[in-house]
Amino acid sequence: MSSPVAYLDYAATTPVAPEVAQRMAECLTADGVFGNSSSVNHEYGVRAAERVESARAQVAACIGAEPADVVWTSGATEANNLAIFGAAHYYRGSGKHIITARTEHKSVLDSCRELERRGWRVTYLSPGSDGVLEPGRIAEALEPETVLVSVMHVNNEIGTVQDLAAIAAVCARSSQARLHVDAAQSVGKVRLDFAALGVDLLSLSAHKVYGPKGAGALIASRRRAVQVSPLLHGGGQERSLRSGTIATHQVVGMGAAFALADAETTPEYEHIGTLRERLWQGISALGGIWRNGDPARSVPHILNVSVEGVEGESLVAAVGARIAVSTGSACTSAQREPSYVLRALGRDDRLAESSLRFSLGRYSSTADIDTAIEAVTSAVKRLRSISGR
Amino acid sequence: MTYSELTRRCFEHATCAGEAGGADWFRGQAGSRERGTWVQFDVQVQSADAGGCVGAVRFLAFGCPHVIAACQWVAERAIGLALEPRLPESVQALRTRFEVPVEKLGRLLIVEDAWGAAVRGAVLRRNA
Repeated sequence: MSSPVAYLDYAATTPVAPEVAQRMAECLTADGVFGNSSSVNHEYGVRAAERVESARAQVAACIGAEPADVVWTSGATEANNLAIFGAAHYYRGSGKHIITARTEHKSVLDSCRELERRGWRVTYLSPGSDGVLEPGRIAEALEPETVLVSVMHVNNEIGTVQDLAAIAAVCARSSQARLHVDAAQSVGKVRLDFAALGVDLLSLSAHKVYGPKGAGALIASRRRAVQVSPLLHGGGQERSLRSGTIATHQVVGMGAAFALADAETTPEYEHIGTLRERLWQGISALGGIWRNGDPARSVPHILNVSVEGVEGESLVAAVGARIAVSTGSACTSAQREPSYVLRALGRDDRLAESSLRFSLGRYSSTADIDTAIEAVTSAVKRLRSISGR
Repeated sequence: MTYSELTRRCFEHATCAGEAGGADWFRGQAGSRERGTWVQFDVQVQSADAGGCVGAVRFLAFGCPHVIAACQWVAERAIGLALEPRLPESVQALRTRFEVPVEKLGRLLIVEDAWGAAVRGAVLRRNA
């Protein structure tokens, strides 16, 4: 099904790739691999377990981890919760201090807020106006009581890429601060080498990479002997870190999607970067357009702009019939609040509210970009005219 | 956010948007851009011989689609009506008509305030 609306919201979610859907479909029906992967006493279970382990190897290979590091979850939100609550509880005897950034995803921030209610202390660091979190800020915030540092790799709103190697080096100076990284937006856009980086815990999502919704993973380094307490109990699956029957078709889809991402990252990267610059050039010609984040430090698929002289909700409504984009992150759109990420970067409420996040993907075309330029240009001109600006 | 068909139509076809001035035009404003909603009405009043009614309306609005749609509707509906500081229908009725969420009620009050400010200027002139 094609739509007259150009889809430019790939950072919110992506369509499942046809190759991925095919692999998933093989694991659903009676003539396929539908068995319970824990039931290894019969052929159905063994075949399912083989598919699950093959997917585990695909995910691990894509990010430079060991297959045994991969713990399946329902998505990055659950992985973030497992990492933060799990590490906080496991290491609570060593300290109850956590460091994170104000620009993290809600699943990290809300988990930290909940830990504060339970007696932990959390330091929320503010990145610079370019979205970059200086590793020195983390070094200053580290305390003997710090047990966890949680930093996202690629910001979901503005696309800023953090210097994980430098942050990991800072954390390594602490005897007990483990490093958790939310990498939901990274795979397929930025090369990740989990083992080389010195990261302890890494959260992944399938549906940002042309895999299915409802699948993700927490990568918990066995080599670094990181420990987390489980959130779910009953069954002991996934090294007892995530009990529950493994959704074979979901994890098989995630594995297939990550294998494709690994193969396609470089050509996609260049193609999407070119399209993004075309979009920026076209929109910025309007004047009064602010680019959020530093393009030299961001992934190629995200362009976040604030538009002067228009009200945010009207802007989104005016372009919505022609392009699918986000204002703020998808997770906060229902709240009708200015983006907390942009406010943390120093944008005032009006500019934070009148922001648009364009996120491009594998199926984005020049025609989509030209549609977006035309839609935004005509909407902004009209709204500025209505407001007398 | 989803919008009713009427809201979307008035928002997308804000044909009364603009400014106008002259001896028989009266201007009123309310709200602020910094706080997210600002509205200005220019109201033309017919001469007493012609009935002293509203002859034409133009508006400017910085606000959400509901605010722009309500301004457009008021600008269309007021023509030919007697000069009244009240809107052609109450704010509550406007809220129902445009299916405006209750948390946006304050924005409709800004529309009413801007209308009232323009009309009061006209009434003052007429009574002077």
